[in-house]
Amino acid sequence: MVRTAVDTNDGDLARAITAGAAGTAGDAEAELYRRFAPRVRLYGLRHLRDEDAAQDLAQHVMLMTIQKLRQGAVRESDEIGSFILGTSRTVAIELKRRERRREALRDTFLPRQTFAPPEADRRLDLDQLELCLSQLADRERSVVLLTFYGERPAAAVARELGLTEGNVRVVRHRALARLRKCVALPQESR
Amino acid sequence: MTAPCESPLTDDQLTEYWAHDLAPDGEAAVEAHLFACATCAARLEELSALGSGVADLARQGRIAGIISRALLNQLQHDGVRVRYYSVSPGETIPCAVFPGDDLVVLSMRADLTGVESVNLQVTGPDDRPLGQALDVPVASSSADVLWATPGAFVRAMPSTRLQLTLLTPGRSAALGEYVLEHHAQP
Repeated sequence: MVRTAVDTNDGDLARAITAGAAGTAGDAEAELYRRFAPRVRLYGLRHLRDEDAAQDLAQHVMLMTIQKLRQGAVRESDEIGSFILGTSRTVAIELKRRERRREALRDTFLPRQTFAPPEADRRLDLDQLELCLSQLADRERSVVLLTFYGERPAAAVARELGLTEGNVRVVRHRALARLRKCVALPQESR
Repeated sequence: MTAPCESPLTDDQLTEYWAHDLAPDGEAAVEAHLFACATCAARLEELSALGSGVADLARQGRIAGIISRALLNQLQHDGVRVRYYSVSPGETIPCAVFPGDDLVVLSMRADLTGVESVNLQVTGPDDRPLGQALDVPVASSSADVLWATPGAFVRAMPSTRLQLTLLTPGRSAALGEYVLEHHAQP
């Protein structure tokens, strides 16, 4: 049976890229990119708090990873996720130090159009979310706005609203469950 | 090929990670899991999209309800065009919204000493209930309560008189009563 890149586990994908087998390495690289670029972008969003910087990070890290694999410089192919995370950390620190480098990265690495918008972003209906947000209890809406727009951790939200940190986490949990249900996102299986 | 996740992260773990609530050890553990688990990474992507959507709505002034002063400052800093009115207890003020206003914010001054949360009741002509906010936490150091309404919503309203009553939950005495004479733009 012929295995396609999509059917292959992460370690075998990494090995296929390193082996550079004709006709399969390109597919393996594309599949590795498809799997991990969104995770690196999320890492970038979380640490750099900027969509453009996050996309730059994803492209830069994935290009470096593929180059290292091609050179046979990744020792533990089965730990490719850890390698990409480590690379993300290093590059993100560098990006934070040298913010101005962003523009150069944008011009240097892969063309922007190769990075498709994340599926979750494409599915979200902003009008529906607005309706869902308006249907939250007022306390819940305040916590959600401060968390996601204000980018404040629970302790800061608690200080701002005169609540305890534990209360903020409870309210936030309840609010997010209601929002997920309202906008029809998958719920945590319990 | 996505291997099944044997010990998925909980929604709370993902939220706490995203909201910067975790200590460095916890954060590193979550990240290690996310880079090994496509399923949980996809769930974080959903949470991220939800959070981005909320932020987008705020930046477009499409939020309603009682907001904190710090949040108002952030909205203005981000370029949200705010039409701001301030009213004292017992006062009646004229108000209008103009093209280009993203958000209308009313500052209701009140003595909030010892107050942890407030209720707001909004009524129209003939005491017709138009809206309410219940048990909204406020910092007792505040000198006012800020009520935000999307500009697009207010622009669609006809000229009308709005009565606003600010209450402490569980108490009958009002913290303040305010009247807005809203003038619709032709």
